[in-house]
Amino acid sequence: MINLSDSAKKCLDKYLQQVRNHLRGCKTVDADEVERNVIEHIEGEFESATAAVSFEELDTVLQRLGSPRQWIPEEEIPWWRKTIFRLRTGPEDWRLAYISFGLLILGFIILPSFIVLLPASFIVARAALSEAGNSSELKAQKWLIYPSLIVGCSVIAFILFFGGTVLGACLAEVLWDLTWVRRIAHMGTVVFAAGVTVSVTALSWFILGVVLCKWPGLVRNIFKPFANWFNRKHAIILICVGFALLVLTFAVVGYLRYVIFSHYLTAG
Amino acid sequence: MDHPFLDNWATQLRKGMLELCILNAIRGTSLYGYDIVRKLRNIEGLVISEGTIYPILSRLKREGFVQTTIKESTEGPPRKYYELTAKGEQILSQMNGYWQDIKAGTDALGREEKS
Repeated sequence: MINLSDSAKKCLDKYLQQVRNHLRGCKTVDADEVERNVIEHIEGEFESATAAVSFEELDTVLQRLGSPRQWIPEEEIPWWRKTIFRLRTGPEDWRLAYISFGLLILGFIILPSFIVLLPASFIVARAALSEAGNSSELKAQKWLIYPSLIVGCSVIAFILFFGGTVLGACLAEVLWDLTWVRRIAHMGTVVFAAGVTVSVTALSWFILGVVLCKWPGLVRNIFKPFANWFNRKHAIILICVGFALLVLTFAVVGYLRYVIFSHYLTAG
Repeated sequence: MDHPFLDNWATQLRKGMLELCILNAIRGTSLYGYDIVRKLRNIEGLVISEGTIYPILSRLKREGFVQTTIKESTEGPPRKYYELTAKGEQILSQMNGYWQDIKAGTDALGREEKS
C-alpha cells in the first residue's frame, strides 16, 4: 500500500469512482480487474516513494492514465449509459436533473399520474446521481434531484415500515367478520383490531430486520445517498424492536383477554 | 499532432495497434500490468492514455487470448501476471502476419512512387 496525502487520497478515490462509473455495464471488460490494475499501476509508480505522495504527484500519474471515459470504445458502451450520458451532457449537463424535477412537478400538478411520474422522476434522479458518481459532484443540481429522491425514498420507507400496519388492519377487518374467530378471540373489536394490526406491524419489522441484517447494503443502495450510515447494527435494532413489540402486544392482548374480558364474562 | 485529420487518423491507428503491441509485449514471457505499460511507453506516440491498456488486457483475457497468474512479489503485494494462451499465440501470429502484409504493401507503395 502506498502512503498518500489526504488530498491525494481523495483525488484517487474520485478517480477510481470514475473508473467504476465508466466501466459499469461494459460486458467486454471486467471493471473490478481494471480497477485493481489501475491501483497496481499507481502503486508501481510510487514504489520508491519515501514520503506521502502529494496531490500534484498523483495527479501527474492520473493525467498519464487519462480519463476512463476514453478507455472504452463507443460501440462497447451499453445503450443505457450512452442515453444517460447524452441526456446529461451536451449543451448543458443538467438535463437529467431538469427531467427528474419536471416529472415530479408534473406528477403533483396532474395528481392521478403521480403514481407513474413519481417512480419515473425517482429513477431519473437516481440515474443522475449514479452518473455523477458522488453526491458532492452534483453541486447545485442537488436542488433539482433531491426533491425526487426525498419523496421517492419517503414513499419507499413508508411502505417498508407501515405496509405491515396496513396489512394488519385489513387482516383484522377480514378476521373479525368470521364468527369462529370472534368466538375464540373473545374480546372487544378495538382490542382485537389493535392487537392484530400491531402484531403484524411488529412481525413485518422483525422480518424486515432479518432481511436487512443479511443484506444491509440494500438500504444503502435503495436510499442512496441518505442512508450511507446504515449497517447490520441498525438491522439488529429493528429486529429487537419488532420482537419486543410483538411480545408486548401478546402480553397486553393476553392480559386483556384472560384477565379483564374473562372477569366481565364471569361477572356477567 | 497539429491537424484534426491527423489526430483522428492516429487515434484510429493506435486503437488496433495497441492490442497487437500488448500481445507482442507478453509473447514468450509473463508480465504484470504496470510492466506492460512501461514497455509500451517506450514506443513513441502509441500510448496517449496509459489507462487504455487495462481494459484491453481485460478484454483479451475474456476472449481467452491471455491468462493471468498471481505471483508473489518481493516489492509488495502479490502481482497478477499476464501471459499468452495457445489461442492467443495463434491469433497473434495471424495478426503479425496481417500487419507485416500491410506494412510491406505500404512500403512498396512508397517505393513505387520514388521509382
